[in-house]
Amino acid sequence: MDHGNADRGAAPTMSRRRLLQRAAWTAGAIATGVGSWVIRPDWASAAEPIKVGIATDLTGAIGYAGNANANVARMLVKDINDAGGILGRPITLLIEDTASNESVAVGNVRKLIQRDKVDVVLGGITSSMRNAIKDAIVARGKTLYIYPELYEGGECTPYLFCTGPTPAQQCDEFIPWLIKNGAKRFALPAANYVWPHKLNEYARKVIERSGGEVIFEEYYPLDQVEYSATVNKIMTNKVDMVFTTVISPGVGPFFKQLYEAGYAKRGGKLACVYYDEDTLNINAPHEIEGLASCLDYFRAVIHDDPASARIQAEYDKQFPGKILLSAGSGATGMYRGLKLWEAAVKEAGNLDRDAVAAALDHAKISEGPGGPAEMVPGKRHCKMKMYTAVAKGGNYDIVARSDGLVDPKTC
Amino acid sequence: MESALNAIFDVLSFGAIIVLVVLGLGVIASMMGIFNFAHGEFVLLGAYTTYLVHSAGLPVWAGMLAAPFVVAAFGLVIERLVIRRFYAAPIAAMVGTYALGLVIRESVRGLIGGLYLFVPEPIVGSLSIAGVQVSQWRLAIVIITALVMVGSYLLLTRTSFGLRVRAALENPSLARASGISTSAIYAITFAFGAALAGLAGALVVPVFSLFADLGIRFLIQGFLAVMLGGVGTFEGPVAGGAAIGVMSAALPWAVAPVLADVLVFVIAIVFVKLRPGGLIAGGRV
Repeated sequence: MDHGNADRGAAPTMSRRRLLQRAAWTAGAIATGVGSWVIRPDWASAAEPIKVGIATDLTGAIGYAGNANANVARMLVKDINDAGGILGRPITLLIEDTASNESVAVGNVRKLIQRDKVDVVLGGITSSMRNAIKDAIVARGKTLYIYPELYEGGECTPYLFCTGPTPAQQCDEFIPWLIKNGAKRFALPAANYVWPHKLNEYARKVIERSGGEVIFEEYYPLDQVEYSATVNKIMTNKVDMVFTTVISPGVGPFFKQLYEAGYAKRGGKLACVYYDEDTLNINAPHEIEGLASCLDYFRAVIHDDPASARIQAEYDKQFPGKILLSAGSGATGMYRGLKLWEAAVKEAGNLDRDAVAAALDHAKISEGPGGPAEMVPGKRHCKMKMYTAVAKGGNYDIVARSDGLVDPKTC
Repeated sequence: MESALNAIFDVLSFGAIIVLVVLGLGVIASMMGIFNFAHGEFVLLGAYTTYLVHSAGLPVWAGMLAAPFVVAAFGLVIERLVIRRFYAAPIAAMVGTYALGLVIRESVRGLIGGLYLFVPEPIVGSLSIAGVQVSQWRLAIVIITALVMVGSYLLLTRTSFGLRVRAALENPSLARASGISTSAIYAITFAFGAALAGLAGALVVPVFSLFADLGIRFLIQGFLAVMLGGVGTFEGPVAGGAAIGVMSAALPWAVAPVLADVLVFVIAIVFVKLRPGGLIAGGRV
């Protein structure tokens, strides 16, 4: 804004010229979109570039996750372009901000579809975001959509492919491991939205099948930060495994109160399946010592898998700083999604939606963060390796790995 | 028995946290008639200052000491630049301070990368009192809150500064005629409210960790507390804060947590309906 003391005392009118200037400026800003980035290939070709659209939360509450997704896309598109593009055509990357806000998102996604006419859209982090934008992409937009984040499963819309882990992938190996390592009496404190409800529904079955017992399952408002009643319930009922899906901002204070009540001292253990490198800093390391998580990637996997090590090193070189390549933010799902789509386009030989979808239905990649991955034919979900890790002194140790690729068991 | 004692301490300590957060909000609302929607962000700034000082390698308590002064200075600048234009228009003040809060919140979000970061307590560990595990830091917060409350009360009711503040509020023209600079008094009062917010942020950040929405989390509860307690007195918002804090922490012991969250609001609204002036209605300090 440019008005200030100079205007004071003057009549509150605006000259026509200034009005026009401002209108033009505003229109320009709206048309180009303040939260839009276009990254063009640095080589030209006779063929039209392929347009990849990313719609993710660059700003707002989960901006850290969205930026990790966008970084991964930038890194991969640069790689692909450096290697000659796909089908001899370079890739233009178009990134739109969904701003952690569904109503903003729908408008921005429409820009990708209607104005830019992208060939594929990847993105969305929360399930509510996916539900808000999928119609604009898949149904009205007649475009492919790839959703990268771990979620509750059950998204079976045609032309919508999911590359993050489902409850089956996060529980089938993990919960038996917890029980084998001494967990018996489970508490399932959870945030009150769809993912924890669905995850707990699945987890409860696996717990009971594997010989554990669910002492209580309880849901809290998403912004609750005071957990004394819950902690007391855990302590008095002799729970020895808190398997929680409470989210930030509550999860930090919850773990702290639990620790202060003497839960860890008495031998109680924690498990939280979205915990990755981004969430390690919410608590002091001693408060979450021994916390177990199960995801498709942890940074510690670089010691197991040379391909993961290479990808991680490249990411760290291009994007040093606070935005990490982590599984909980969907960044690893974004990697798989883009690479699987690349493989599918190469197989299809063109960008026709049906042809690419048909090829994507059984696409495979041999390398990615965490290892190889492949789509389960007819399911539009992705098989991947899963790792169980335990927090130790502010880092993760990998303590178990799935033998092969774990099935998403959905759709 | 043990569990009951546990409950009492936990409920008390959360009540103290809410009181601490509400204190500055109440001072500004009661003394100046301004509903400061950026109050939550002042709390956030206090927390952020503590984090910055700590990450610079200095002890946490140094950050906690610095926070009220940093936020007071910030509040003073804001009052001179923005708030003083709003005294005649309380509704515009709400919108204006909300916008201000938004700018602060999103700036801090950018600075911390949107993450949740832990800040250690200056006093770590828990005490065992009569078989009950009591977090030492939460106990410290209860004690500091009590001291700050008494200190603020004495400042506003027993000192000549407090007298001038009340005079400037009650009858600005007469105060000015008596040689009191109301403009300076307002600026100092606002800075004082901001300092209390900064202190609250500094003290609670080890409990809740640092994140951009730390302040807004407490804003709604804060306003509810001021409404419940009644505007115009010092004790009103404090009592309201205690009531809201205690209810928020105590109800989940009795009913499902999702229901408890709603019940706090229902109880507060019903109460205000029956007693529109709030818990402590009436005159000024």
